[in-house]
Amino acid sequence: MANPGDLVKVVTSDKEFSGTLMPTKSDTTLFLKLENGYNLGIDKKKVKEVKTIKTTAPVRKESHSVKPRKGLKNIVILYTGGTIASKVDYTTGGVVAQSGADELLQFVPELKDIANVTTDRVCNVMSEDMSFAEYAQIIQGIQKHLDKDGIIIGHGTDTLTYTAAALAFALENLHLPILVIGSQRSSDRASSDAAMHLICASQFIAKTDFKGVAICMHHSSNDDVCAILPATKSRKMHTSRRDAFKAINSEPLALVDEKGTVKWISAHAAPEGKLWVREKFSPKAALLKMTPNFDTEMLEFATKRYDGIIVEATGLGNMPTNTPGNQDKYLMLEQYIKKGGIVGIASQCLNGRVHGTSYTNLRRLLNIGCVFCEDMLPETAYIKLAWLLGNFKKEDAQSLLAKNLRGEITDRSPYQEELME
Amino acid sequence: MAIDYASLGFKAGVEIHQQLDTRKLFCNCPSIVHDVEPDIHLHRKLRLVSGESGQIDEAALFEKAKEKEFLYDACSTSCCLVEIDEEPVKLPNDEALRTALQTALLFHANVVDEIQFMRKTVLDGSNVSGFQRTALIALDGYLDTSKGRVSIPTICLEEESAKKIETTKEYTKYRLDRLGIPLIEVATGPDLKDAEHAREAAEKIGLILRSTGKVKRGIGTIRQDVNLSIQGGNRVEIKGFQDLRSIPKVIDCEIERQLRELKAGKKVEKEVRKAEPDFTSSYLRPMPGAARMYPETDVPTIPITKEMLSSIEVPELIEDQAKELEALGIDSKLAINLVKEGKSEMLKNLAGKLKNLKASFIVDTFNSLPGAAKKDFGIEEAHVKEEHLLQVLTLANEDKIPKNQMARALAALVNGTFKESDYAGVSDTELEKAVKEILEKAPGLNPGAYMGLIMKHFGGKVDGKKAMEALKKAM
Repeated sequence: MANPGDLVKVVTSDKEFSGTLMPTKSDTTLFLKLENGYNLGIDKKKVKEVKTIKTTAPVRKESHSVKPRKGLKNIVILYTGGTIASKVDYTTGGVVAQSGADELLQFVPELKDIANVTTDRVCNVMSEDMSFAEYAQIIQGIQKHLDKDGIIIGHGTDTLTYTAAALAFALENLHLPILVIGSQRSSDRASSDAAMHLICASQFIAKTDFKGVAICMHHSSNDDVCAILPATKSRKMHTSRRDAFKAINSEPLALVDEKGTVKWISAHAAPEGKLWVREKFSPKAALLKMTPNFDTEMLEFATKRYDGIIVEATGLGNMPTNTPGNQDKYLMLEQYIKKGGIVGIASQCLNGRVHGTSYTNLRRLLNIGCVFCEDMLPETAYIKLAWLLGNFKKEDAQSLLAKNLRGEITDRSPYQEELME
Repeated sequence: MAIDYASLGFKAGVEIHQQLDTRKLFCNCPSIVHDVEPDIHLHRKLRLVSGESGQIDEAALFEKAKEKEFLYDACSTSCCLVEIDEEPVKLPNDEALRTALQTALLFHANVVDEIQFMRKTVLDGSNVSGFQRTALIALDGYLDTSKGRVSIPTICLEEESAKKIETTKEYTKYRLDRLGIPLIEVATGPDLKDAEHAREAAEKIGLILRSTGKVKRGIGTIRQDVNLSIQGGNRVEIKGFQDLRSIPKVIDCEIERQLRELKAGKKVEKEVRKAEPDFTSSYLRPMPGAARMYPETDVPTIPITKEMLSSIEVPELIEDQAKELEALGIDSKLAINLVKEGKSEMLKNLAGKLKNLKASFIVDTFNSLPGAAKKDFGIEEAHVKEEHLLQVLTLANEDKIPKNQMARALAALVNGTFKESDYAGVSDTELEKAVKEILEKAPGLNPGAYMGLIMKHFGGKVDGKKAMEALKKAM
């Protein structure tokens, strides 16, 4: 039996082909890598025989281990999976997370002149499959490396900002920089953005005394500078562009290039006091989006199952609770809050601040105890609520929800000439 | 000095790259190359990655060694996020895929059972993604030439690269309009007998590709590469021929270069060379290998079913269409040009309808009558429409206007002053009567003088041949 990677001769009813047998998910087609590099699909029904000409030993990769250098900061790259470390997978034919962090170092040899870089794997999932169990693993991984000068976390981009917010809440008074990076183009391609994010994040750690959690991603579609974005006020705003990550109701903290030039944009206060880790996230929190014709049963389910709900409301914070037909939803919310449920209100506009008193309908929600979450992003509010419910008493969770703890809420709404960049 | 190709162990094949006139291969952008000011400006870098076998390609390493920054100019009208590597590709354009299958059938090649697009690593910046997407469509076709059958081992469908517009030490600048235009690659086996044979094969392949009716025309829309080696030498690929005629000259110069190297005891390197305007060639880069190819993971493989293949129409070849015109009495070179210009169908129709006119006369009318009408009657050639010409030809076919009056009629049609009565022919009895009167009025003149008098009498309305016959009869 020939194995993928073997040099084979395939005999079909009318022809013979030589090449390297490729792994495939297909039951009906066999793929052969011809001498010219093309993969040829051959209908298995036509195949009479597959003769092995030469079995191939796997290619041994060079080891890139380097000795730590004095005077350079020590950085650990924690690997979680996702596109920043993904590769072609022959069982599915697509790109999946499977390469280790060591491969990142081979991919970006420049890192060795910026810092003494080591790697550690904390979990291995694409970011869409992240759960609070992985958050616990990441936090454990961080705790193992608190002696380092900085930590870079490679993360899939889809839920990267949720994780960044989670880490910001979980780690109070962090005395080192943690930069969460991702990649919108997988690292198996020459145009990957992964290397630049790694280099810029390392430079930012090497050249500044920043402490806390932030995100480091492309600032524009150009390969020139990365933006250091606030962990609790950023969002993935494009499905595929390199510069998908934007600060919302906020600004990047700084810009950094591959040479290590840092341009500060907004001041950050260094935390004082002892590191306090509160790593629990409650599964009893939910995020619910309001739509026209919103179904009462969805709200009923949420109120029965969860201790707290973040409502992604419309506009300034409205919910469909005002017509006679929507009265049951209003009463349901009122009862839920009376019995101790938390209802936080954030806006699906993303940009701007919710407001509890500017319309009668908003006041009706405020009157029954809904918490208006100011200019906090709905996703950040969800993560914050799960964290509050995991680590605090319910009453405290409710009172802390609309209070700024990690920069997730600002007290001013500065004017920006261009609403969307 | 005549080169004895056979005794030199000459081996050569050509590769033809032809742009298709469809939308782009992996997005819905129009495949137009224009010269409007670009409104998108980007700069990027590329890094070396290993292929699926874990090996790094030598050609890729060479390009990487240059460590350059790439600047990209693009127009938002012909470029979207796909070209600038900011969005995953769409499924391959169906029209392009069908044209590739059509091409495969035209070369009698075997279409693969399942098409898999590959990424061919290219680190010179000409592909923003760092690779060119390419798929093997068919294997083992052939082409018949004057020097025998030439094998066509592979037919591929790939995306066109970006156009280089500036190179400095620090950066290379490209324009992206062209990037992503579908390209069919037809490669011959190393069966070409001599330098002239390479030209012939290249020309024939180009002509067959044109038969699909889906190819782009104009400078740069078709490109030829030549692979060649001689005994004791090594395989060299030459790119960038100015035109078909330069192929034999560049090949001969390359043979002479290799012979000189071998004579001096040097090794001929396996490499890619660029054809220069003086027919010599210069070193371009190392020859790429198989390690530079890995599967395009954004596009699922495409099974080619029997149903799909049987729905592909095989177009009539240009050469065959031209033969039909030749049968109508049209010169063979002219016939091929007419087919290329897409005029063969119209011409065949006309020849069928205008039974009293020769096909060559019809072609000639199309080519020269507007010019004649301009010269003699001062109309603008640009104002002459096809329908005007068809009207004049129909009138001539029905003998309603004399052939020597066609330019005048055309001018009148263009000016809107045409009246059929102005050209009313002279009846035979009228003609005979007039000839008789002229002979009686001025007896004893020579026939030439009589002809002058007759033609003057009718003001050119009478056909000269007819008048001569009437004169002979009366004399």
